[in-house]
Amino acid sequence: MSEASVELWVNGERVRAPVWGTEFLAEFLRERLGLVGTKVGCGVGVCGLCTVWMDGKLVSSCLVPAVVAAGRHVWTVEGLVALAEGRVADPPPGLPSGRLVRAVQQALVECEGLQCGICTPGQLWAACALLQEEPNPPEDQVREFLAGNLCRCTGYQGILRAVRAAAREGRCVGG
Amino acid sequence: MALGGRADGWAKVQGRAVYAGDVRLPGMLYGVVVRSPHPHARILRVRSEAARAVPGVRAVLTGADVRYGTYGRRVRDMPVLAREVVRFAGERVAAVAAESLPAARRAAALVEVEYEPLPAVLDPQGALEPGAPRVHQAAWRYPGAVVGPEDPPNLQSRRVWQHGEDVEEALRRCAYVFEETYQIPPAHQGYLEPHACVAWAKPDGTVEVWASNKSPHRLRAQLAACLGVPAERIRVMPVYVGGDFGGKGSPMDVPVAVALSEATGRPVKLVVEYEEDLTAANPRHGSVVRVRLGVDGEGRMRALDVRAWVNGGAYAAFKPVEHVNLNGFAEAGNTYRIPAVRIESLIAYTHTVPRGHMRSPGSLEANFAVESTVDVAARALGLDPLEFRLRNLLRTGDRGTLGEPWMEVRGEEVLRALAEVLAQGGGAGGTPRVEEGGWACGVGVALYCRAAHAGETEVGLQPRPDGSVVVWVPFPDQGAGQHTVVRNVVCKQLGLPPGAVEVRQADTDQLAVDSGVGGSRVSLTASAAASRACQELQRRVEQEGLGGLRVQEALAELARRRPGEGVRGRFSGEELWLNSVCAQAARVRVDRGTGQVRVEEVITVLDVAEILHPPSHRAQVEGGVVMGLGSALMEELVVEAGRVVSSNLHEYRLPSVLDVPALRLVLVPGGKGWGPHGVKPVGEMANVAVAAAVANAVADAVGVRVRRLPISAEEVYRLLRAREARP
Repeated sequence: MSEASVELWVNGERVRAPVWGTEFLAEFLRERLGLVGTKVGCGVGVCGLCTVWMDGKLVSSCLVPAVVAAGRHVWTVEGLVALAEGRVADPPPGLPSGRLVRAVQQALVECEGLQCGICTPGQLWAACALLQEEPNPPEDQVREFLAGNLCRCTGYQGILRAVRAAAREGRCVGG
Repeated sequence: MALGGRADGWAKVQGRAVYAGDVRLPGMLYGVVVRSPHPHARILRVRSEAARAVPGVRAVLTGADVRYGTYGRRVRDMPVLAREVVRFAGERVAAVAAESLPAARRAAALVEVEYEPLPAVLDPQGALEPGAPRVHQAAWRYPGAVVGPEDPPNLQSRRVWQHGEDVEEALRRCAYVFEETYQIPPAHQGYLEPHACVAWAKPDGTVEVWASNKSPHRLRAQLAACLGVPAERIRVMPVYVGGDFGGKGSPMDVPVAVALSEATGRPVKLVVEYEEDLTAANPRHGSVVRVRLGVDGEGRMRALDVRAWVNGGAYAAFKPVEHVNLNGFAEAGNTYRIPAVRIESLIAYTHTVPRGHMRSPGSLEANFAVESTVDVAARALGLDPLEFRLRNLLRTGDRGTLGEPWMEVRGEEVLRALAEVLAQGGGAGGTPRVEEGGWACGVGVALYCRAAHAGETEVGLQPRPDGSVVVWVPFPDQGAGQHTVVRNVVCKQLGLPPGAVEVRQADTDQLAVDSGVGGSRVSLTASAAASRACQELQRRVEQEGLGGLRVQEALAELARRRPGEGVRGRFSGEELWLNSVCAQAARVRVDRGTGQVRVEEVITVLDVAEILHPPSHRAQVEGGVVMGLGSALMEELVVEAGRVVSSNLHEYRLPSVLDVPALRLVLVPGGKGWGPHGVKPVGEMANVAVAAAVANAVADAVGVRVRRLPISAEEVYRLLRAREARP
């Protein structure tokens, strides 16, 4: 039980920080780097609050030991916002486009795709990753893809409406 | 008309909204709690040497180190850290503060506690029997206790509501009496943000607190009582709350975080793990509810007797109402004309996790029991369940079941609207049903009526030189959208666009009063206070001779003339006699072979008045229905031998998007709302009757009556096989 240090890329920047062997990526991002946009719920990979992007895939950062992230490229919600605001010069391939992120954010706000907001960074990742991969997914695929991101507030209806609206970059409509 | 998206929407989609666990202060330590593994035990010894030796550890506290009193929302019966005895598995026994979270966890694991296990009582009926092990030696001595030395030693609260004729006499005269008993298990509120706080006991004797708590002013008062300091020395800072549903209204871990901060002179963050929150926070009570419903020869309800035995757990500390009972029980049968009603709710102390409020506390329990019994009665009498309800509905002009002089009762409008929807695709009861394979289809309905209450709050308005306005509110937005509602009231009343109104949460020093979020009262209360603040601001504009200007110009000029000045509007509750009615229907398919129940659709018909922000109103209903489905079909906090064994969200399963069927929502407008904007509450309307509707649909489909929640395949299977086995 002692501190080592770990080096990785977070939101395109190289970072190096001390870490315990028992520390997971979610905690590392939040407590060591101060990137508190990533939330932690269950801590066992069920709820999806801590979803981040690591080398092209969405992962539950509460399940990834921080030392395993060494040398990897991790993107958090703070990175998504930077993409949306056009502040990323040379984004790695596979990340959602800034335009898509903006469309999903807009749709989540307009369609009431959030309430308390604690699951929202994870939902934003899931919706962006889905639409990046499949710009116009059928309803079944949307549900399948979002099944790993729990929400206790909305009953998921607003989130589903938001994904549909973002897919056509349109307005929020009922039903 | 919807005025813009949610006021808090952009902060949340950008990950900028700050929750208690996100707060980071210079020099901050991390707190971790050590909990009892025993439901009831004497603490013989606590050894903390090994814990103290972990590098980075700054404090290890036990009950003996804490000078504070006990704490609670009404009844102050919970110690900050256990002393001498532990009364539930999960009770805080020691606490550690360290420079890092891994160090604090490591140290907590090294605290050695020696216990002598004692006999425990785990169920409310057993707890109220003579000779049961005592949870507290003298529960009546706690500040705020509602029991006396003459009561059974484990009684936490007893409440009786009655009205009209003598219920026993009335039952004797009835042609039919239906007696039924239902079980509603404990459940977790399921907020996804576990309890979190940061406390900083500063050298000057003041305390600053950031907490996942929906009632900052009440938290301040509860902390002051526990710490023994004036409330003015405590300042509760604004943060967002990551879900509440009744569970985020208590001090929870704040007192122990303050103790750690005081011991170390440093700010301390204490975020519990989800497992701790599931097993040791303040879940829904488990209840056994017995119903006796008397019906006369014409199919009219004549008497209702409801008796509930409720598991209160080891402490009453987490219930906010004066009598520390569950007000929802008072709603039993309240949608009907019943001339004799008696309701009794007995809450007992047990050696289990202390219980708190969960969205419409007591309502789901009472509703599941009574609305199931109403269906049993209808089917036994050969009446269509919907028709039986219509025949017995309470109507505008009637006194309520407990004598309430309601402004209106719209049960008939709502139920007829539901009947119309159902008529398009098969009504409840006695209707043709399609069967294929082993599956049978059924439809069930249930009805719910909830009274509205107003609280107390204060709203501040501060014009800015750019013609915009800051709205200061003393309560957080825990997701229900109250900041957006307040923004829309201000927009509407002052004639401003949403972009010119910014809602900010004040800390407890900035505004004077607030009763917090809860009981679906915040939109009513806050819209009334905001409305008064707007009037005050308009008066100020007139006084300054700016009435002729366009509104934003006038506000800009006001801000320039009186920099930093604002106005306030305050509102204090009154008895409203306002209610709202919700009718729900579930369409289900049941597999006769396995007992599996699939809900295909939930139809919700809701009585509404003016709606201040239609998207969040709809979202309250949709989210409520899905939470109701969770209670109906999935959720039970399993307690075995006194320990909560649903250890995390893989075992305590919340509905995911794959569990959600088609949801249909029909609003019945035209209700008489209350206040300057004529509103009715919505937050606790749609989650209640779903369970009874599903149970009634199962009975419709396969003819068996499920009397315990959640409605599991195992239980339906058991009932189907038991019926087959009957000669």
